[in-house]
Amino acid sequence: MKALGIDIGSLTTKVVILENGSILSSIIIASGDEPESSAEEAVEKALNQAGLSFNDDLYIVSTGVGRKSISLSQQQKAITTCLARGINHLLPSARMVIDMGAESSTVVRLNERGRVKDWANHDKCAAGTGIFLQQMAKLMQVPLEEMSKLSLKAESRADITSTCAVFAESEVISHVHRNPPTPKEEIVAGINYSVVSRIMALSKRIGIVKDVAVTGGVALNSGLVYILEREMGFGVLMPDMPQIIAALGAAIIARENIEKDLS
Amino acid sequence: MIIAGIDIGSRAAKAVILKDSSILSSVIRDTGPESVKTSYMVIGEALRDARLTLDDIQYTVATGYGRVLVPFANENISEISCHARGINWYFPSVKTILDMGGQDCKAINCDGGGRVTNFVMNDKCAGGTGRFLEMIAEVLNIPLEEIGDVSLESKNAIPFNTICAVFAKSEAIVYLRKGAAKSDILAGLHEAIAIRSLNLLKRGRIERDFSITGGISKNKGLVRKLTEKVGLEPLLCEDPQLVGAIGAALFAQERLTGADIQTTKIHQYGYSDASGDYFITIDTGLCDGCGDCVKACPAEIFVVDKDDSGQPGVRVKEEARKKLAFLCPGFQFCSQKNTVNCHSICPKDAIKHSW
Repeated sequence: MKALGIDIGSLTTKVVILENGSILSSIIIASGDEPESSAEEAVEKALNQAGLSFNDDLYIVSTGVGRKSISLSQQQKAITTCLARGINHLLPSARMVIDMGAESSTVVRLNERGRVKDWANHDKCAAGTGIFLQQMAKLMQVPLEEMSKLSLKAESRADITSTCAVFAESEVISHVHRNPPTPKEEIVAGINYSVVSRIMALSKRIGIVKDVAVTGGVALNSGLVYILEREMGFGVLMPDMPQIIAALGAAIIARENIEKDLS
Repeated sequence: MIIAGIDIGSRAAKAVILKDSSILSSVIRDTGPESVKTSYMVIGEALRDARLTLDDIQYTVATGYGRVLVPFANENISEISCHARGINWYFPSVKTILDMGGQDCKAINCDGGGRVTNFVMNDKCAGGTGRFLEMIAEVLNIPLEEIGDVSLESKNAIPFNTICAVFAKSEAIVYLRKGAAKSDILAGLHEAIAIRSLNLLKRGRIERDFSITGGISKNKGLVRKLTEKVGLEPLLCEDPQLVGAIGAALFAQERLTGADIQTTKIHQYGYSDASGDYFITIDTGLCDGCGDCVKACPAEIFVVDKDDSGQPGVRVKEEARKKLAFLCPGFQFCSQKNTVNCHSICPKDAIKHSW
């Protein structure tokens, strides 16, 4: 029996298949309008990659915002639980996970056993999320990947006082059209800083403890992570594939359930 | 006596010329990026309609977001006071005003004399503002003026559980792709805005009579939803967009006749965003500016300052106002950690937190 974890996020759907504690295959696809079909597509791709099919014996655990709208999983688990399990597997020293997703940010405190101790999340507003960064990248006409490099080059940063993604957009436009215009790097650093300040506020709510690990698609933005480290005053840990941690956690829970059933 | 009121809003600029308490002319134009030019343009058009020149105007009061950038104004007064004053001129019975503007939304309480007794403002989040409606109108490809009427055609409003303009837009796109009727999407969004506005109003007092001002009050669909939610039939004036400018002109008139201009007693600092309300209220009637709270606050957000009439009082620092929730953890949390805090130290009990 194969353990499979699926994380249906607002922007991407992730699947991880585990065998004997190591990752057999992992896949990331864009989430469509229907979570059910996105889930099926992602699972199928992951199975193909691992040389398996739907006919094989599978135990599927789902997580993420869309977990309640899919029928192919045997169990659903909260994103916080899955993040904790996933990060504990890869980076056992982590006592805190900061998950920066497309439409929400979640911070989780872990106890010594790597289980959830406390958590807080922010999902009601686009400020401080991946969508905010995506929208700004579009506005600046810079590919999302370039944003991170530009930000690292900045010597100082533009002041973006609005939190609201819509109002921040007007502020960015006024920076671009200023005479002389604010350098692109500084605007991008300002944008990244605005996301970081939101995440810091969320983290402070449950208390920041070392080691801190960052996950989610936004963690790939090294310019932002650099600013986050500066604000925290110490370095953070980052797993190789920060996007799949929750799916990995779900797969670990699936494997445990299989073992329980066997004994 | 000929006087003028100018209201430079975030989206629209308004000018009104009054002669002996009746409107001679009024103009509404887009603000655009250069508000100084715009202010000359609107007053110029209003003067032309009234067949007057700038020299004929005896006193001009400017209000609105761009009020400090009106070169020919004799004075500037906050739009909150002007809306209360303006609505009082139309309907002296109004005690509760909801001003829905291009980039912010305000709930104002006033007395029978048009003086502000309390106000709450949301200028931190685009949800429920004119900008929000503009974005939605664009996504649905319906002219902004028509979305209210279209929403009234709906039989089955789609519930929206977000007021974030960015999320609402992407949710609306998903519903559109699924083939939902535009009227149902609009009805759901109007409902969400009405609930949000009601929550803002509840932070003050909801008393008869009720009125809605600002450009959004021209949207019939939203007015219908607000009437349902608030439970009061709003009194709407002929052009609700002009209320601020009329209020400014009335203040100009009072200045010439020597009447006292009343200012607000309660000061609210902060904002509400989709995650909650973050307001610090300072009762300036009680606060004597002793400064104890300035020392007591661990986040150092207070400062002692003088108001327009020279009275010392405590304020929230300008730079702290727009990120209050990040700096101050809220009274509940703060009082658990710090036995000395702004509430406990204030001898007059003049400070309140909303979170």
